[in-house]
Amino acid sequence: MNAHCLLWVTLLLPAFQLDLDAGTEVALQKTVEIPAGDFKPLFRSEDDLKKIPVRGFRLDKTPVSNSDYLKFVRANPKWQRDQVKRIFADSNYLNNWPGNLDFGDETNGNQPVVFVSWFAAKAYSQWKGGRLATNAEWELAGAAGYKSSDAKNEPEFQKDIQTWYFTPSPETLHAVDAGRANFYGLKNMHGLIWEWTSDFNSAFVSGDARGDNGLDRQLFCGSGSLGASDRSDYAAFMRYGFRSSLKASYTVHNLGFRCAYDL
Amino acid sequence: MKAQLPILLIVGILSLAHGESDKKDATKPPCCRDAPPAGPYTDQSLYLLDSMWTSDVGKEIKLGALRGRIQIVAMFFAQCEYACPIIVGQMKKLEAALPDFMRDQVDFLLISMDSERDTVAALHDYRTKTNLDVAHWTLLRGGEDDVRELAALLGINYKRDGKGQFTHTNLITVLNQDGEVAFQQTGLDTATDQILSALKKIPEISK
Repeated sequence: MNAHCLLWVTLLLPAFQLDLDAGTEVALQKTVEIPAGDFKPLFRSEDDLKKIPVRGFRLDKTPVSNSDYLKFVRANPKWQRDQVKRIFADSNYLNNWPGNLDFGDETNGNQPVVFVSWFAAKAYSQWKGGRLATNAEWELAGAAGYKSSDAKNEPEFQKDIQTWYFTPSPETLHAVDAGRANFYGLKNMHGLIWEWTSDFNSAFVSGDARGDNGLDRQLFCGSGSLGASDRSDYAAFMRYGFRSSLKASYTVHNLGFRCAYDL
Repeated sequence: MKAQLPILLIVGILSLAHGESDKKDATKPPCCRDAPPAGPYTDQSLYLLDSMWTSDVGKEIKLGALRGRIQIVAMFFAQCEYACPIIVGQMKKLEAALPDFMRDQVDFLLISMDSERDTVAALHDYRTKTNLDVAHWTLLRGGEDDVRELAALLGINYKRDGKGQFTHTNLITVLNQDGEVAFQQTGLDTATDQILSALKKIPEISK
């Protein structure tokens, strides 16, 4: 499609003031602040806002790793593989772990946890005192390139993203903290795994992401047609398509998450 | 509408029946009946959810309070202009079409996705306006996160647009007595016969 007309505009508003106390300092080292900004949805109906204001928030620098997740399941047995309720995680939950409390080789510890459901990701985030990022928050943070908050002027970044989206997942995922950080200091927002968002089930995309004509209108309530604001943004298309295909109990080999926190 | 008189009667009986034996249980609103069946929930039960919900009569419940009867469930919002009136209409049509032997085994549950505007009072108004039988219909509201979670369990996607309307999956779900999804019907144009035949297949409901 039209890879030459990238129009993903992100306006940054002044950052919120942040009060810190010593107790949160350790957690802060693992997170970065994403200043308030406007998220411009890729898909919207004519009744939707063109820009969604996003308040400032904090986001984990990296996706959650297997060793992080092991601590969680130790502390919360109901999320261990042999105890989780099927309605909250399908039968592939943590299926790349050799044992109930064992993620395998030591090197796997620093790889992102995958095969986790939305419910599990949500429970982990709450256990950490955080939450999952909303689509708008995630996309705002993920829109940054290497050098600026808006990757649309960074062809190098765009190329790296697209290379990943069109390459099958490797057998072994690299470490959560490997690779180049984006403008905010976030690592692996693209290029490693897909990530759960809190409102992943607000995405409406037909199976055929080229347009809205494949959408089963009987299934949805709403007057306007869905239209993409920027049909050239393959990467965002794929994220929306992927999210809209998910169910909350699904676990997938390349789907993990990171936590967000209110300021 | 013909349902109006029975509602008045039921409300009357309800006030008389308060605190009386199980026999009168059928005439209490589904949220407020005597203790539901005890015991652990199955792995596929929506009643595993710990979230609290408030009914249009102001009662706070967990969804597990509805255990023991089949629930016909839809998510809606009171100010919906498009599909919700059709969905609720379809549920009422189904209610009217229930064979007699099912009547006391099947309830109807509407859950609002509009946590902001659908207050207890707004839900109560909706019940009055739409004429929903107190004995069989539950209207619930909940916090945004809890609504999002329940929607995820039901497989319902929704999103609020710039005009305050919600775009959402149109779905009617049948929960069995244990809160497991027994059947789901998508779309707006389907007749009630599919749901009726799904209901007949649920164990313990057949005569």
